[in-house]
Amino acid sequence: MRDLKAVGKKFVHVMYPKKSSALLRDWDLWGPLVLCVSLALMLQGGSADSKEDGGPQFAEVFVIIWFGAVVITLNSKLLGGTISFFQSLCVLGYCVLPLTVAMLVCRLVLLASSGTVSFIVRLVVVMAMFGWSTLASTAFLADSQPPNRKALVVYPIFLFYFVISWMILTFTPQ
Amino acid sequence: MLRQDSNDDTEDVSLFDADEEVSTRSKKSKIRHPVASFFHLFFRVSAIVVYLLCELISSSFIACMVSIILLLSCDFWAVKNVTGRLMVGLRWWNQVDDDGKSHWVFEARKASAQGKKVSSEAESRIFWLGLVTCPIIWVIFAFSALFSFKVKWLAVVTMGVVLQGANLYGYIKCKVGRRTNLTSMATSYLGRQFLRQTVVKDDQAES
Repeated sequence: MRDLKAVGKKFVHVMYPKKSSALLRDWDLWGPLVLCVSLALMLQGGSADSKEDGGPQFAEVFVIIWFGAVVITLNSKLLGGTISFFQSLCVLGYCVLPLTVAMLVCRLVLLASSGTVSFIVRLVVVMAMFGWSTLASTAFLADSQPPNRKALVVYPIFLFYFVISWMILTFTPQ
Repeated sequence: MLRQDSNDDTEDVSLFDADEEVSTRSKKSKIRHPVASFFHLFFRVSAIVVYLLCELISSSFIACMVSIILLLSCDFWAVKNVTGRLMVGLRWWNQVDDDGKSHWVFEARKASAQGKKVSSEAESRIFWLGLVTCPIIWVIFAFSALFSFKVKWLAVVTMGVVLQGANLYGYIKCKVGRRTNLTSMATSYLGRQFLRQTVVKDDQAES
């Protein structure tokens, strides 16, 4: 269907970040929703009590991602950005894709072993994906700002993906 | 009502009119898109039912939350893209111009001259009933979650309020039209009701 194809096209655009109008112009929030739910599901079974069945953690991840994205969008709008509210949310949400891939890889690595080697592997993978996410979203978002304010916009994005990468890296299954 | 003698033209004409009237009346109360009507109500009501029965159905908070989120998203997509267009002929969307400015477009389908595409009253009633009552129910849930300190449900309930409220707002703006704004419409409606009540009271006082 038309909407599914649009979402798929946007995923491809994120993996190869060039300045494309598809992500910016025809925004939609389905991709971010899917990514957010899958990331939150994969971050379950972490070092929490088994009685709680990771309930609050799911809601925490959800709230962190959406609230963080909203705050970054407000920040960029207050700095005088020309991009609209939902477009910015769309870009930030879609650029979580590399980190979701990193989470998948981490879970697979942790199935194999959980020693120092696996930690180093996970660290490298997460750092690479974190860099990719930040670069991808900066490529889309920084152009809408006046040039002397680019760093002010990039820094919160850096923090946002850093927090998500931290959650992924410190994930230890029980 | 069937007349054997069809030589009289006027009788034929009146019969024809009666048939036409019956058919338009039945068209107005017939449901033209049963599948759309069903799904319009199904997703909303099942999201509410799952939220209410989550404690009983499964002990997993996550399964309930994910299923409610999925139902709410399906409902949002269905109501925005499909059922509004089919059942009441309204639609709304966001458009981004070439220079990057975004604006919201609200459209209503004009009734055609001969009333061929008469939107049925039953469908319209189902649509507006589902559209208005469900956000109100989610707002009630939001207050109850807030005051009973069940904070973990607040995320889901907020999502419900936002998604269903957005559809409600969009369709009301479509119906009302872009020129009038909602506050002036509300005040004029209240003014008309007040006037009607005072006139009725005057009539009763006189008689």
